[in-house]
Amino acid sequence: MKRSHIIAIVIIAVSIAALVGSLYDSSTYADLEQAFEDPGTEYHVVGVLDRSEEVIYEPSLNASLTTFTMKDLNGRSCRVHLAKAKPQDFERSERLVLIGSATENGEFHARDMLMKCPSKYNEENRIEG
Amino acid sequence: MSAYIGEHTWAGQLGHILTSASFVAALLATAAYFLAAQRGDERWKRLGRMAFHGHTMAVLGIIVTLFVMLFNHWFEYDYVWKHSNRSMSMEFIASCFWEGQEGSFLLWTFWHVVLGQVLLWRWRGGRRAEWEAPVMTVVAVVQVFLATMILGIYFGDIRIGNSPFLLIRELEENIGLPWTTMPNYLQAIPQFADGRGLNPLLQNYWMVIHPPTLFLGFAATLIPFAYALAGLWKRDHQGWMAPALPWAFFGIMVLGTGILMGGAWAYEALSFGGFWAWDPVENASLVPWLTLVGAGHLMLVNKRKTTSLFSVYLLTLITFILVLYSTFLTRSGVLGDTSVHSFTGDGMLPGLLLFLLFFIGLSVFALLPEAGQRRFYALVSGALLLIGVALNIPVPAILLFGAVTLAHLLIAYRSAFNSSEPEESLWSREFWLFIGSLVLLLSAVQITFSTSIPVFNLLLEPLGDGLRGLSNATGIDAFAQLADARFAPPGEAIEHYNRWQLPFAFITSMLVAFTQYLRWKDSDRRKFWRDIRISLVAAAAITAACVWALGYTLAEADLVALLFATAFAFTANLGYATVVLKGRLKNAGPSVAHVGFALVLLGALISTSRTEEVSRNTKNMDLRFLNEAFNNNEDILLYRGDTVRMGEHFVRYREKERRDGNLYFAMDYYGVEPRDYRAGDTVRVGDMLFVSQNAHRAGTHFLADQPAHWRPVEEHSRRALWYAQEWSNARPGAEQFSLHPFIQINPRFGNVPEPSTRHWWNKDLYTHVRYADLEADADSTDDGWMPDRKYDKTVGDTIVTPTAIAIIDSIFIMRDSTTRSMLGDRYTVYAAQMRVRDLYRSDRWFEARPVVIYADGVAVMGRAAEIPPLRVKYGLASVDQASFVEPSAEQRGTVQFGLSVAESEFVVLQALMFPGINILWIGCVLLALGTGLAVWHRVRERPTKQV
Repeated sequence: MKRSHIIAIVIIAVSIAALVGSLYDSSTYADLEQAFEDPGTEYHVVGVLDRSEEVIYEPSLNASLTTFTMKDLNGRSCRVHLAKAKPQDFERSERLVLIGSATENGEFHARDMLMKCPSKYNEENRIEG
Repeated sequence: MSAYIGEHTWAGQLGHILTSASFVAALLATAAYFLAAQRGDERWKRLGRMAFHGHTMAVLGIIVTLFVMLFNHWFEYDYVWKHSNRSMSMEFIASCFWEGQEGSFLLWTFWHVVLGQVLLWRWRGGRRAEWEAPVMTVVAVVQVFLATMILGIYFGDIRIGNSPFLLIRELEENIGLPWTTMPNYLQAIPQFADGRGLNPLLQNYWMVIHPPTLFLGFAATLIPFAYALAGLWKRDHQGWMAPALPWAFFGIMVLGTGILMGGAWAYEALSFGGFWAWDPVENASLVPWLTLVGAGHLMLVNKRKTTSLFSVYLLTLITFILVLYSTFLTRSGVLGDTSVHSFTGDGMLPGLLLFLLFFIGLSVFALLPEAGQRRFYALVSGALLLIGVALNIPVPAILLFGAVTLAHLLIAYRSAFNSSEPEESLWSREFWLFIGSLVLLLSAVQITFSTSIPVFNLLLEPLGDGLRGLSNATGIDAFAQLADARFAPPGEAIEHYNRWQLPFAFITSMLVAFTQYLRWKDSDRRKFWRDIRISLVAAAAITAACVWALGYTLAEADLVALLFATAFAFTANLGYATVVLKGRLKNAGPSVAHVGFALVLLGALISTSRTEEVSRNTKNMDLRFLNEAFNNNEDILLYRGDTVRMGEHFVRYREKERRDGNLYFAMDYYGVEPRDYRAGDTVRVGDMLFVSQNAHRAGTHFLADQPAHWRPVEEHSRRALWYAQEWSNARPGAEQFSLHPFIQINPRFGNVPEPSTRHWWNKDLYTHVRYADLEADADSTDDGWMPDRKYDKTVGDTIVTPTAIAIIDSIFIMRDSTTRSMLGDRYTVYAAQMRVRDLYRSDRWFEARPVVIYADGVAVMGRAAEIPPLRVKYGLASVDQASFVEPSAEQRGTVQFGLSVAESEFVVLQALMFPGINILWIGCVLLALGTGLAVWHRVRERPTKQV
């Protein structure tokens, strides 16, 4: 066997391993229903902050815990414990992506969260005549 | 149509004309240069050159026009209104220019034009001028695509590109609105008086220098790409490399600098918590750099002897395609929710996709050796895209296009480049350069794949039904799962990429270390070992020293391996420059660059793996009882005036100050000194009180000290225990420095925390405010307390706050003689008697007695009761005088009164210690300098060597 063949085989093997491994590492977008069907598994859940419910952040208890209620895109809501300090402008967020897992007791434990704030432009540029 | 007052429509019209002119001129240049390349006709070439000059003038004109508009604050223009305002300083006008999508495309176009002119200037002497026509054809066709991105012209209902020269009243969403017919709308509508302005986050010097550098780097990848296509076109597989080579390394230098500048920006001014977050936007710029490095090194090999021709072509072509792909990823909106950079689509997706697919198709087309194959491929791929557009089934069409393209790539490889030449020796430089380039390609593929995960959902969506059918037919669940899958990026992105990239980094570093010591074709093994021996030993010594100093364990063997590899790359290249090159600066460029590369990796490795979260949350509630995956030690709570131990310092939150729209938090850092106790000092340990027997210096643990120095106090008042200090072995020493992390207060773009970092030669202390109550800031009285919380209570009620639980025992009128004589009869003084307990210690009680003074039924004054150990204060805000029965022991439940409770003002801080980060920055500088030196050397040497 020629050396180039060995190299080719090694490269193909490594790339397949890397790609399958990367895919294996990847998470999955889910709604709350799916997440609660499968507690303990990490999901990305997209939703919005439920502003009618209280956002609790008591740094003197723990500076890295924020509790709030999120509604997913299907309208199902649940209580969320986020293991991060409350982000600046949290109340103004328009979209949240939770990274974490559901628990047996009906709460969602988010390890991390991405937050999209509204781009102010769209609201303000609509100049009323 | 009425005339509008105060508009400067001529600028927009000029802009539109110039954009159209730049488009037409680029088209003309493409056609003319194409014919010149096909026919070898000088006249066509001259026409092409003229058209390109015209295009250059038009592009420069567009840029000047846009700058004039920005400079004069002509807010009737959408781009000006969106990206600038009157209050920002003019030095950031450049940032406004390229903040928007259209401006950044202009910047990119601008660099292409500049590089194109440099090429034309270099060819003027006639040397290698045969490359002008084919190379410039490629450059011009890229310019055609870029020009369409800012054209903003409608073909039927389809708009091509977004023009920066649109008036706000001409915007699609505003057409037909009543105000657009007002002749004086600019004066009448207040919004037009000032623009929205530049995001304050971008108002810093990084935003002035980072984008131009990055885009120059992107633009530089076009030149090797154009040369490679020209080489394929003219079937001159070797001649293109010599002129393309300096451009490739120029691109490596500039793009690398641009990427690292982005990292420095993130580290200095943004709150990512580090210099590299594997964010999609960062990845998108890193990946073309990796393949460009591979391409450049393979050109070095193949310039001499074509041994891996296909790989050179592949890497050179793919570099530019990856630049287009990263543009597509970050600007089309496909990444959606996955990036901290917010990019919106603006309807650019189809245009960008076409841009990308065209150049993929063109590259494979050029790689095919036979005219018949090329015709077939062009026909099939073109037809597929047409069908996709016509039947509105873009995704299946793109998938089929991808399959056909991949098949043809394999055909091209097999039929044209599968050489039957004897293989290179294992002891040759070219063999290992080849391996290194492939490793870089694999690394790039892995990063691209993981970054693209959100794109797979788009590709899989239309296949859902087919996959489900396949699953039913075959009974394999995996297909159905694939159909329903909604892939998200890896949850722990940084860990994911670090883990997968570590082996690639290891191999690359090892190759960087030893490949230079090998000679072309074959090497003398004994000489090889003799030359490299010292470097190997030195690297082992550095590794051992680092392992010892930083405490790497066996579980981190992978890190130690990388540590060794980078140390080896460092010593070997240092050795090569001094021993083999004997310190001749002229040839030392590659060695310097490699030393820089090794230091970048070494610094990244040490600072990332040994980042210390000094803001460890040691008190308070443990989060892990909620969820084991929760990290408990990120942030620390600092009350105003408190001094808290944090790593090697005591830190005290002194004050906050509002300056230039920023809210600064002054944090004083003190040294840590040993604590000396005198005889008779009392301390609290748990629930026990101890008294010191003799003067002594505190040791590491109380239990070790106790027998010799401390005696428990058996009989003591409770109060003595409450007020006794905790035992500790350290106390704050002299003040060493202050840091001022701040929050940018911006109602329009949102409030953004920015870090403050203390630099030492061997480490950095990086701090930023994670949370601060900004409502407390809006409160004009900055008295060190948070805003009051109001409660309506009655006697017997309790109030729970984060640190304390308070019980209201009674409320009464103070009628002692002192009060009476001081205030007279007009005033009534109410006082509430409260017991307050530490929420965390059931035996720690305090008393509070807030008062409020009423005159003629109105509360005129009050005095709150503060309990400093619990950082809480209670105020009596109001008493319902009507329901107040007095004097009576039975007020319970009948008297209503208002209480206001406030906590001490605080911030939540994150502090990270990054050791060895300066190694990384030094590496960056050396990498850029070394590559620059190598480029300069190559450009200079050519005339004498190869004429």
